[in-house]
Amino acid sequence: MLYILEDTINGILMGSIYGLTALGLTLIFGVLKVINFAHGSLLMVGMYVAYWAVALTGLHPYLALILVVPVMYLFGYYLQDIVIKPIFKAEREVREPITVIIVTTGLWYILDNVTLLLFGPQYRTIQANPLRGKMLELGGMLISVPKLWGFVTALITAASIYWFLQRTRLGRAIRATSLDRDAASLMGIKQYKVYNIAFGIGTATAGIAGVTLVPFYNVFPSVGVLFDIKGFIIVVLGGLGSMGGALLGGMIIGVIESVGPQFMAATWTEAIVYGLFLVFLFVKPSGLFGVRYDW
Amino acid sequence: MKQQRLEVLSLLPVVVIAFGLPLVLHSPTYLHIIILLYFYAYLTTSWNLVGGFAGVLPLGHAAFVGIGAYSSTVLSLQYGISPWLGMIVGGVLATLVGVIIGLPTFKMRGAYFALATIAFAEGLRVMVENIDYLGPFNLNGPRGLEISPLNVGLANFMFTTKEPYYYIVLVMLVGVLALTYLISRSKLGYYLQAGGEEPEAAMSLGVNVARCKLIAMAMSSFLTALAGTFYAQFTLYIHPKSVISLDLSFEIAFIALIGGRGSIAGPILGALLLRPVSDLSRIYFGATLPGLHLIIFGIVLILVMIYQPRGLQEPLTRAYNKLLERLAARPAVGV
Amino acid sequence: MMGKRVSTLLWCLVTGLLVGLLVLFWGGSGVTAENVVKIGNIEPLSGPSAAVGLQGKNAREMAVEEINAAGGIKSLGGAKLVLIYADSESKPEKGVAEAERLINTEKVNVLTGCWNSAVTLPTTAVAERYGIPFIVPVSVNDKITEQGFKNVFRIAAKDSWWTRDQFAFLKDMEKEFNVKVKTVAFVYENGDWGKGFAGLWKELAKKGGYQVVLDEPYPSTATDLSPVVQKIKRANPDVLFLVSNAADAILLTNTLADYKVKPKAIIGSGGGHADPSFLKATGQNARYIFDLVEWETDVNKPGAKETNEKFKKRYGYNLAGESVDAYVAMYVLADALERAGSLDPAKIRKALAETNLTKGPGMIVAYDAVQFDKTGQNEHAALVMVQINDIGHGMERLTVWPKGARHAGYTPVFPMPQK
Repeated sequence: MLYILEDTINGILMGSIYGLTALGLTLIFGVLKVINFAHGSLLMVGMYVAYWAVALTGLHPYLALILVVPVMYLFGYYLQDIVIKPIFKAEREVREPITVIIVTTGLWYILDNVTLLLFGPQYRTIQANPLRGKMLELGGMLISVPKLWGFVTALITAASIYWFLQRTRLGRAIRATSLDRDAASLMGIKQYKVYNIAFGIGTATAGIAGVTLVPFYNVFPSVGVLFDIKGFIIVVLGGLGSMGGALLGGMIIGVIESVGPQFMAATWTEAIVYGLFLVFLFVKPSGLFGVRYDW
Repeated sequence: MKQQRLEVLSLLPVVVIAFGLPLVLHSPTYLHIIILLYFYAYLTTSWNLVGGFAGVLPLGHAAFVGIGAYSSTVLSLQYGISPWLGMIVGGVLATLVGVIIGLPTFKMRGAYFALATIAFAEGLRVMVENIDYLGPFNLNGPRGLEISPLNVGLANFMFTTKEPYYYIVLVMLVGVLALTYLISRSKLGYYLQAGGEEPEAAMSLGVNVARCKLIAMAMSSFLTALAGTFYAQFTLYIHPKSVISLDLSFEIAFIALIGGRGSIAGPILGALLLRPVSDLSRIYFGATLPGLHLIIFGIVLILVMIYQPRGLQEPLTRAYNKLLERLAARPAVGV
Repeated sequence: MMGKRVSTLLWCLVTGLLVGLLVLFWGGSGVTAENVVKIGNIEPLSGPSAAVGLQGKNAREMAVEEINAAGGIKSLGGAKLVLIYADSESKPEKGVAEAERLINTEKVNVLTGCWNSAVTLPTTAVAERYGIPFIVPVSVNDKITEQGFKNVFRIAAKDSWWTRDQFAFLKDMEKEFNVKVKTVAFVYENGDWGKGFAGLWKELAKKGGYQVVLDEPYPSTATDLSPVVQKIKRANPDVLFLVSNAADAILLTNTLADYKVKPKAIIGSGGGHADPSFLKATGQNARYIFDLVEWETDVNKPGAKETNEKFKKRYGYNLAGESVDAYVAMYVLADALERAGSLDPAKIRKALAETNLTKGPGMIVAYDAVQFDKTGQNEHAALVMVQINDIGHGMERLTVWPKGARHAGYTPVFPMPQK
């Protein structure tokens, strides 16, 4: 039975990384009420930035965070400001700007294929990095070290964002806007600035997730697509806007993906994840920790 | 002349051209492209019944295409049943599935609804990819099903030339457009529109919004499934990634959104404009700069949404209406 | 106002595109019919298989350059070969549409393609309908030459030959090293390629008296393959058979190494394992893996080494089985055109059917001749088994089977060392 424990641990670790990729998404979804289909692409961009940072300097992958976080933050901030804000302004009357979904999909196509043009389709890995292939032996179980690093990073990032949202003025402004944007602007909160910042933070988080993946995963232009839908499932599972929910949601998926195959073919776990997703949508759409938004 | 009669008359040349085209245009390539154009226009117009009129954003309609395609193909391959019959079976099946999906999802808010439809479509695709047999029916998983091009004939929905396919899909398109027109002028149409924009207000007036949406969904899924059968008989090979793909669902929705959902001309206009853009850029650039066509497509999507969020049909329709007004009797203002 | 001007601009853009579309279709790709042979190539140039599509494109270009530099097709007055490409995006309906366009608008004389078996199947049907010869360099699905078509010619070996050779290799290894193999595991990507192999493997295992301890399809796009590796570890097979695309081959190999899973042998099926980025991305972890391929850089054929060097210099990576198939396909075509002496599709078809190519710059393949049987299948298509090992020059692929093709001085390592 030890292998089930081993699998569960792997699921939790991998799942926390999924949750990390979804942190930015739940923030953006929660604040802007937008399904950002480009989120996987942002993750991919983060991975490429991290890859090049390490490949060119030979630094420890996690040191690349110094470069990745600010670059991605600015990237997201201006993306929102230049591309998405005009649509929000145009659709001020509508409660849920559906056209933004199309715009983010356009962004997705553009980002993925510009990367394809610039860097080619080949799969890249950083073979010689200090984390590759390291396994921790614990009581007869093998635990992946890079995933462990990812787990810790995910926890720290989630906690930091949570603290930011709860304890700082800016964070409270963001939360206020997400609950009721009109009332918030009446209170003097600049709505669009808040959106820009939220998008920036969300994108920076995608960058952090990219850094955790690069030590053990492949980097290629369409890598984001794999994490895209999973991200949305996690966001719904965990509850819109909840950091802890995103992590927990991610871990649930991770555990299903890791433990499930022990009892059935690996390909069926995909169906189970979708099934679970649908159950939550019907039964508890606000997710595990979500607040009931009236939007 | 009454404006309404003018509207009908203005459509006449379009109809003549559409039906007469194969008499002058013989190139199979062009016919193939135009057939696909009609095919997408048909799909988006059917989608429009739910996505446009009912005001929600379904992003999983490819599931119905798949249901239609697989139903008719399996029945004809395994039991020799004519694809026309299989088409109807597929449609009925899709309607059932559509209503079952619609019941719980219509209560959800826009973004959640969209995600739910995606989950359904992907879940269906994963299911079909993983099982070879659904009861007695052989679905052949990811290897897909091929249809032999050898049994030619109307009964078998199989032709060696493009012309019959052209007319079939054209008739389907005209049919679905007529249906949309009738609905838009009917009580159902008004209820749907009201329910889409202000559901609470509509319900307070006694409109059963939920039931109207379900009816729209039932029609939309039935019609979409018919297109699935057409696709199978036209391309002769179906497998989960081609008929139940997220790409297809997105493309249908986006064409309608860019053309202008909720209008009759919108989906067709969208198909007319976007299909060539996507095909043209793939043909022209696909070999030298891979992926460029998707970049262009993405840019077009973004530009249109920023500058014409109601769809490209809006300025066109306004111009058209103004023209008709001027041609009709002097506008009865004052005099 | 700004909005209005931009929307007018947008309309002009869209109209311009439509006009451009008409012009393009009228004009075709601009290749005029002055003594050329037009070859249409449908390849995945974008999407998930783009990396392989590109290799096929590069191989064709190099071959055609050589053929044209050597004087083109002499029986046609020195006609040059011209390659026209179409992107299938790995989607069957796009492949079909492109085939229609290449045949009717571009007026190609021959088609080649499409790598993804799912695209090749319906596309060959289109070619058959128009009577245009279609050379399939790589797609392995048995059905491609079993549709009863007259215009399809396949260079690569069929699915069933691959699996047959994998098991034949295993039996030979057991004999050579006096090792008994009792249990096997099948782990494969959940597409038509993997599933096709799995079905054939199961039958062969039964015939060979092996016990199948694991039959595991996995999604090729999985982000984490640890659970699959765990299953393999617990099933503890003697030999592990794999069918993987590039990304999952890399992930699987690295994860197997992470979890210290060491069966007696791992046998791959080309594809992802033969991808040029595989070795770079897995390094030491790929050591001792066996892989069945069409071709390897150390094959004992005249000109093979030089051709590979030339390719590597131009494109930065080695030729692989699939690119070699594309390369030889061009020479097969050139040879057929010489004999046909005409651009009439029926004559080209006949010449192709009578092909018996045994020498020339194209014949760097591991077998001795290209000859098509009645169904269009290259009868002599053979495969070689390589082992990945480091014999002093870094991790490389060394041919080990059939014994006659074995890399000089190398003895395969079987079973895999357990430490």
